[in-house]
Amino acid sequence: MVEAVQVQLKKGVLELCVLALLSRGDAYAYDIASRLAKGIGMGEGTIYPLMRRMQTDGLVETYLVESTSGPPRKYYKLTDRGCESFSSQKSEWADFSAAVNDILGGAQ
Amino acid sequence: MTRQAFLDRLRAGLRGLPTSAINDIVADYQAHFAEGVAAGRTEAEIAAALGEPDRVIRELRAEAGLKRWEEERNPSAAANAVLAVLGLGAIDVLVLLPILLPIAGVLFGLLVAAAACLGVGAVFFAAGPFFVHGAPVAAIILAGLGLISTGTCIGCLSSAASIAFVNGLVWYGRLHITILKPALQPKEIVA
Repeated sequence: MVEAVQVQLKKGVLELCVLALLSRGDAYAYDIASRLAKGIGMGEGTIYPLMRRMQTDGLVETYLVESTSGPPRKYYKLTDRGCESFSSQKSEWADFSAAVNDILGGAQ
Repeated sequence: MTRQAFLDRLRAGLRGLPTSAINDIVADYQAHFAEGVAAGRTEAEIAAALGEPDRVIRELRAEAGLKRWEEERNPSAAANAVLAVLGLGAIDVLVLLPILLPIAGVLFGLLVAAAACLGVGAVFFAAGPFFVHGAPVAAIILAGLGLISTGTCIGCLSSAASIAFVNGLVWYGRLHITILKPALQPKEIVA
């Protein structure tokens, strides 16, 4: 069970990062992928399955924007459900990381 | 690997999914290559950063399989979802087989028992009075009805249990979906 919790936690963090990026503004997949790859070392290819899953779950939706260079870009934006999910996941993360930091701080 | 090689492998690996889904997915990766090249990277660099097409394919197929199971609850969708999850390597088959097989076996046995009860019950109900002698006709017909309802009951309960069983597997598989792995092992060796 511990392993399952760990796995869920990490998976949740990736999703949380995408939700956070999108909460600051709509973005297209390449942009999200390169920012996450730089930030937390996430493989760029994994963003697409993740975005599809989030779309299936109704957390994000897409729209096309004409691009000056090349074909139109597919932008992702948070749905209302995505916004709710972001704020609840964010506070869960804050509580959790504060608790972990507490324990780490006390164990020097 | 070049853009074309990556996209070809992707398209070949996704064969069998709905055409619209394949086109959608391939278009995503095509756009990714176009953006990358515009940003000054080479096709080989972009392909390397994307990771193995096979892993990407497994994840996308699993996602499509799980989505189908959520939309239509039937045995073929269930088989698809379970295979997709197993294909991810998310569930250690060797560890889980001793648990999964007996459960699946019991569920299958119950379904067969349900079908048998239904069949025998129907025969008793319809034809029992003609070939069973020495018992009141009403008792034979009631016995037939009893068997039919027992069969229905077992069938319903075991179907519900089967759905719960597949849902459980899917839930477990989703926990382990390999979206995580690249985060843990960013430097995957690319052929």
